[in-house]
Amino acid sequence: MRRHTRRIYNICYRFTGNRTEAEDLSQDVFLRVYRTLGSYRSAHGGFATWMTSVTRNLLIDHYRRTKRDRATDSLEDKMPVVENKESSARRPDEQALLGELSGQVQHGLTRLSPELREAVILRDLQQLEYIEIQRVLGVPEGTVKSRINRGRIELARILQQMGVRPS
Amino acid sequence: MTPMIWTCELTEERLSDYIDDLLAPEERAAFLQHVPSCAHCAPMFASVSHLVKNLHSIAEVDEPPRLVYSILDQTLGPRDSATGWQAVLQWFRGMGTRRFAYGAASLAATFLILVTASGFNWRHPKVADLSPATIYRNADRGVHIVYARGTKFFSDLRVVNEIQSRLRENEQVPVNQEESLPQPAPGKEPGSTDGTRPGPRQQNRADGIYREMEVLAEEMVVFNGLLGGSSR
Repeated sequence: MRRHTRRIYNICYRFTGNRTEAEDLSQDVFLRVYRTLGSYRSAHGGFATWMTSVTRNLLIDHYRRTKRDRATDSLEDKMPVVENKESSARRPDEQALLGELSGQVQHGLTRLSPELREAVILRDLQQLEYIEIQRVLGVPEGTVKSRINRGRIELARILQQMGVRPS
Repeated sequence: MTPMIWTCELTEERLSDYIDDLLAPEERAAFLQHVPSCAHCAPMFASVSHLVKNLHSIAEVDEPPRLVYSILDQTLGPRDSATGWQAVLQWFRGMGTRRFAYGAASLAATFLILVTASGFNWRHPKVADLSPATIYRNADRGVHIVYARGTKFFSDLRVVNEIQSRLRENEQVPVNQEESLPQPAPGKEPGSTDGTRPGPRQQNRADGIYREMEVLAEEMVVFNGLLGGSSR
């Protein structure tokens, strides 16, 4: 269970970029898995893939639900990134995290569209195979490939804007 | 067959296919011919491949320790946290389980075996018997007695086995000798023709008994020595 908890929490954290929301969402995922365990069929892929699929659906629901709340943040998103301004609103541990690559990537991920974000998270952070991502997202293989490719190019562009250069 | 032409649009569309090794050999060759020398594609390829490498190296974030308990509380219900007398009763209730009974029984049996092996007299228990020096002395004595008895038992077995094997040999030897020996000519019989000397069969029998006595005498020397040693 601990292994699944960590994996689900990481997906939620990378998607939302917020530890508290990730914790709440992880609990919701396990609650839903517990309630809908009867609907799991091994023919549709492994248990981990099914759990990831449940997580993804909850994340999308959460994203839609909180879209209105983020409307005020959208203007902020369009503005050029100024680290000091961003960091003034964050906790000290989050500032330390931002100083590292993980924090920079996390910041870049939150600026991707949810479709591209989830594709990059599943492929490059969770390191799932294309076929597993196809099952989780419920879209054709071509769409999965296209989203991963666009997500990577877009994220690389964002990180370059943030000043992260290839070594 | 004309070689495939790779364009900048194709790089934008299929860059990840190259990184994830999903291109066909001819596509891969065309990609490698175009991208390194293209001013638009080369930096994009460098930044994306660098990003993918970095993403793969990022470690997972630690989940909060309370998360697992929160999930268990939500799915299986909150844990009972008894206090005061209830907690004491709950502790005693735990002792009523079969697992606890098996554990306690095996622990008691081990204790009994160890105390008995250390030479403690259960009929006339003394506190002095429980002192470390007495326990050591009794244990040492016990080990020596067990060793001496074991050696004696092994020697007895060896003697019995030796005797049995000799007897088996003797039962077979006369028959073989009679078959292998040439039949004596009348008047030249090398045995008790006059009744003063034993016949060949009797002679063999006597030889066999003599050999057995020799073996027994040898074994008894060893046997006596062992017994003498153990009694000491």
